[in-house]
Amino acid sequence: MLVSLITAEDPVIRDRSLADSCAPLDTDSLLRECSELDAFRRTSENLYHRVRAIFFLQAIYRFHLPGKLPVSATGSIPFEGYEYLLGRHFEEAIDVFLEIQDQDGPSDGICSALASAYHQLAFQTLADQVRKSVRTVRGNQWMFRMGHPADHPLRIRRELLEQDEHRFPILCERTPVRMDLTHSAWSDIFFLGMDFPQGARVVNVSVDLAVHGRDSKPKPPVEAYFRIIDEPVLKLTSIDLKATAVISSLGDVFDFAKDYLGLLKAAVIASGIIPPGIEGSGKSLADLLNRLAGPNRGIEIISSVNDIPKGSRLAVSTNLLAALISACMRATGQTNSLTGELTESERRLVLARAILGEWIGGSGGGWQDSGGVWPGIKLIEGEVAGETDPEHGISRGRLMPKHKVFNQEEIPDSARQALTDSLILVHGGMAQNVGPILEMVTEKYLLRSSAEWKARQEALDLLDQIVKALAGGDIRELGRLTTANFRGPLQTIIPWATNHFTETLITRVSEKFGDDFWGFWMLGGMSGGGMGFIVDPSRKQEALNIIHDIMIQTKRELENALPFAMDPVVYDFGINPHGTFGQIHHGEEALLPPSYYHLALADTLRTPPADLSPTARAELDQFARACRTNSAFSSSVESLFETLIPRIGDQSAGDNSLSKLLTENGFDRRQHEQIRKDLVEGRIGLAQNRLPATTVIKDVAPEDVTDFTKSDATENLALGEQALADGEVGVITLAAGAGSRWTQGAGVCKALHPFVRLAGRHRTFVETHLAKSRKRGQEAGTTIPHIFTTSYLTHQPTRQFLDTVDGYNYPGSLHLSQGRSVGLRMIPTVRDLRFAWEEMPQQVLDEQQQKMRDSVRAALLNWARSTGEASDYTDNLPLQCLHPVGHFYEVPNLLLNGTLANLLEERPQLKTLMLHNIDTLGADVDPALLGHHLASDTGLTFEVITRRLEDRGGGLASIGGRPRLLEGLAMPREEDEFALSYYNSMTTWIDVDRLLELFDLTRPDILARDEGKILAGIRKVASGLPTYITLKEVKKRWGNGQEDVFPVTQFEKLWGDLTTLSGIDSKFIVVPRSRGQQLKDPAQLDAWLRDGSADHIESLCEW
Amino acid sequence: MKIKKAVITAAGPKQQHLPLQTLVSPTGETKTVAAFLLDEIFASGIESVAIVIAPGTETDFSSAVADHLDKVTFIEQATPLGYGHAVLCASDFTGSDPFLLMMGDHLYLSFAKESCVRQLLDFASQASGPVSAVQPTHESKLPFYGTVAASPVGGVQGLYEVSHMIEKPTPTIAEQELIVPGLRSGNYLCFFGMHVLTAPVMEHLDQSFTGEGDLPLTPSLAAAARGEKYLACEIEGLRFNIEEPYGLLRAQLGMALSGEGRDEVMGAMIELIAVTRR
Repeated sequence: MLVSLITAEDPVIRDRSLADSCAPLDTDSLLRECSELDAFRRTSENLYHRVRAIFFLQAIYRFHLPGKLPVSATGSIPFEGYEYLLGRHFEEAIDVFLEIQDQDGPSDGICSALASAYHQLAFQTLADQVRKSVRTVRGNQWMFRMGHPADHPLRIRRELLEQDEHRFPILCERTPVRMDLTHSAWSDIFFLGMDFPQGARVVNVSVDLAVHGRDSKPKPPVEAYFRIIDEPVLKLTSIDLKATAVISSLGDVFDFAKDYLGLLKAAVIASGIIPPGIEGSGKSLADLLNRLAGPNRGIEIISSVNDIPKGSRLAVSTNLLAALISACMRATGQTNSLTGELTESERRLVLARAILGEWIGGSGGGWQDSGGVWPGIKLIEGEVAGETDPEHGISRGRLMPKHKVFNQEEIPDSARQALTDSLILVHGGMAQNVGPILEMVTEKYLLRSSAEWKARQEALDLLDQIVKALAGGDIRELGRLTTANFRGPLQTIIPWATNHFTETLITRVSEKFGDDFWGFWMLGGMSGGGMGFIVDPSRKQEALNIIHDIMIQTKRELENALPFAMDPVVYDFGINPHGTFGQIHHGEEALLPPSYYHLALADTLRTPPADLSPTARAELDQFARACRTNSAFSSSVESLFETLIPRIGDQSAGDNSLSKLLTENGFDRRQHEQIRKDLVEGRIGLAQNRLPATTVIKDVAPEDVTDFTKSDATENLALGEQALADGEVGVITLAAGAGSRWTQGAGVCKALHPFVRLAGRHRTFVETHLAKSRKRGQEAGTTIPHIFTTSYLTHQPTRQFLDTVDGYNYPGSLHLSQGRSVGLRMIPTVRDLRFAWEEMPQQVLDEQQQKMRDSVRAALLNWARSTGEASDYTDNLPLQCLHPVGHFYEVPNLLLNGTLANLLEERPQLKTLMLHNIDTLGADVDPALLGHHLASDTGLTFEVITRRLEDRGGGLASIGGRPRLLEGLAMPREEDEFALSYYNSMTTWIDVDRLLELFDLTRPDILARDEGKILAGIRKVASGLPTYITLKEVKKRWGNGQEDVFPVTQFEKLWGDLTTLSGIDSKFIVVPRSRGQQLKDPAQLDAWLRDGSADHIESLCEW
Repeated sequence: MKIKKAVITAAGPKQQHLPLQTLVSPTGETKTVAAFLLDEIFASGIESVAIVIAPGTETDFSSAVADHLDKVTFIEQATPLGYGHAVLCASDFTGSDPFLLMMGDHLYLSFAKESCVRQLLDFASQASGPVSAVQPTHESKLPFYGTVAASPVGGVQGLYEVSHMIEKPTPTIAEQELIVPGLRSGNYLCFFGMHVLTAPVMEHLDQSFTGEGDLPLTPSLAAAARGEKYLACEIEGLRFNIEEPYGLLRAQLGMALSGEGRDEVMGAMIELIAVTRR
């Protein structure tokens, strides 16, 4: 039946939602449908039929089947299948998982494994198709056939080879960026355009930019320069990234991550100067350049984006790539015109090459992103594949869209001016990875989820209305429409398109400007970066500064909660009437931007004059003359000096601040030096985290756990309710971590992140946890004390934040338990890096991305070697150099910093504490579970859940007949983890007195705040726990929104290892997944919302 | 269409002396490049030839083609203004007649019974408009040749109708505009260096000539393709551009290996390969 949703000719059937069709089906029927879909996708020859079937299967296994399985269906995931997944052998993985399903019946775990395998297979299939289409576009194919310099069919144009007093001419390409006026509901994703060309439509405007208050007036922000040099090398320079490279081997051209010049290299390759077909040929770059430009000639390419910040959502990178490609194609005669505008067919060729370049560079944008190559305002639409197209018979649409540039009659100058007079274009400063959003959009589109499908149609209607409003110069109406698009279709499709920062900005701008605020407009994958505010033109000048101030103020308030890459900026902009435009400069006019000379001439000046080539001397002479006569070069001499003699001093200020932080946060220098010594000598490290290989690890027996998903929930309910009513219980939320995975190491407080809209507003993790305690307290007629543990990184921001929101008016007592121990991150050892990358199972990436990753890793190994293995990591903001030392310490901190004493004073009857992770959103003081813990008379009751594929990092194991929690780091073999049925949710019910006993402490010791005794107790327990070495990723920010990620070494002791100690008894209880699952990655949010988890959490809360 | 006249261009700065180079023919005869060309032309039934030369080179050329002097007219191109201009210089000679156009720096070796010129003239005899000799050529050679977009003419092997042509296209343009059905991927129909042209081509050249800058030939051929039925025919043979580095050597090797000197030359090559080092 479900197959017919895919194959039907009738759009009414074909566009029917999968969810609606699955709702009435029982488990057996769903399994039968899965079997049919799987058989169909294996045999169908139509690409999109196959992909839709795979997405259907993924959705059924992720969303529809698990909820219909009997509770007893646990089951384990075979390691063999997991290994296939890591190696990107998705078909084989699916076969293994299906075999287990046939053998043992369906289970939650196998469903998760199948969902993941189908998900990855679907995107791989789509990506392969785009790649194939990119290669088969006419004009691109020859580059994949060319494998020898002697076969190179291109030649540099004669005009560029003619020297004038040792100066070669400079070809300069200036390109605007593009803004998407309609927001296309992400219909510019290649997969969508190729399946639904009629629905892929955007209105795209080429704009010149200036940063308001910094630059004098808008100009095409993207510049690419090309010239011949008298050395057989490829010289690449990015002025903005202050990076330059002289490349003398072909291999280095294809090494994208070796430096910051990957985009320039991609352009050189995609333009055909060094065609992709020659990669790995082992041939000489000099021979190739000889063929292109003549003996002893090389090429220099320079890029500049005039310091436009990264993440602007204006497709700066893609348009820079397009500008570089245009320049290279002009230089090699692949366009008729060496200068001026390009013809339509040339623009299309640049587009095809830019798509190729993005693929080669391992990135990927939308098909409208090269819009800056075209002039003015244009409608970009998907195109149905015709019989002569390579896509025919494979996909409904072509890879490349068509561009219709609006003329003056369709959109008159007055309307263009009206748009310029009302629109305020900004960069909010947030740095976000939009990749998961694009995957969500694709998946939802292919599943035809009914609400999303309807929203997509609405977005298409809105586009027509926006064009009409624009043509009529009715910008007020345009503002209304873009706002309606943002509030309606866009958020229906992707609720994560908005966030707390954006909503706050809109509210504040709206309050400030009232009726003069005409609308909001989102650019790109999600809001927070590039955005637009549309105001009455009479207030635009005033609004430029006010909106800037509002953004700065809002960022200051939220910067500890949300990842910002930079301070917000406002742009001045103008509509560009030319698109990409080439100029050639000869002789004295052949000048590059001043900043180029600051970078490049430093080396020249260090060279003895006698060794300088005539060209280098001519260049110096040229620069010297420009400094005297050209106002743009007026401060160049000073800047050149700065480059020649870099300033010192900033670093020492950072060091001081770091030392101060270390002292303030209880850094133990002796322990640190010991760890360094042990690391260098190989006593500790990633390999040493593991238990001996001889350790026998088994899954626990049924009697080792109490399965609370099956047992009678009311058995000890009364006991729990009574304890609650008597005020015997408190909650500890672990909120000391920075949420490395949540923001990829951005160093903000995860606890304060307003991550989801619940009950009509964005809610932080802190608010959500308090709302659950509030509700349980109200039901029990009492209040529940709630502790948030913090660290050096999170304490101050959390304190300030809670003050700002008045502790969310939490009725009970609210405590912050400040961390008292901190570590200093170290440069990793090459041994550990190799272990992590070579010994541990790795997810193989898509071909080009894998190349990128290999190249990055080679660079990081060099970095570790040259910076000093196991030396202190200090080359970052001081806070980014520290690390928390593991969640074990968070409970001892309670004893040490007086928080527990305060609590016991306030509530002497306190007997039980429930400890949980910040991201375990389902954990609350459930009286039935509390009752169970109390009735079982045990020191620690750990909650575990059945395992899904994504639940990695350890589990509940039986070692030597004793059940204990085993960290993933300590598993002797990866496959051991897959034999374990249960995953540790970290939620722990703690008997306060038994815990104190473990530390050789009593309540009076705590109340007496006997620090010596408490410390002694902590040391005793800590010494019995293993120290793990881990690699964490840390971001280093620089330039205008640029970020680098480094792996750093840190150590930790973990809470779950308490289960190995004999001084306290531990028991284990299996809880429902909705209670124990954790939100580790924002990419999980959408599925979390769709599978009912968000609704469940909301039902536990009282706001 | 019966062709009785031929034009050879040999006035380019680099071409002036190339036709005077001597080679050994497959039959062991030593003669100049110009003599090779004229022998082949006259053997194919052409009655008179004009050679467009640079000023001051007539004496050299006269001695190089001494055997055919009675049927050869020398036309001086006073200033080098491009290939099209060189051809235009012969307009008085060609008048309104169709003519064979050849280049002084190209030599041909036929694989068929007929010479390369004869093959072209045979195709032209059935045509009413221009005919260019073409050969499938790998894309790496595109920087050297004019290239045509064409479709096969039904029923005649190796005959195409030309719709469009571009001088020395990049492979990018070639892939978009010049793909010919039936050719191997990465191969295009490139000019073979000999054409049969008609009066409208000369007229177009005349109209395009301004006296300033180079006058290329290809735009006038392209104009002819728009105005009349323009054919291209595949020639069974090899062309040698003796202007290229080692071009003359290749031509000589080609001649030698297809004639009496084959064993001797191969022996010499093997010996050279054995004793020389890079």
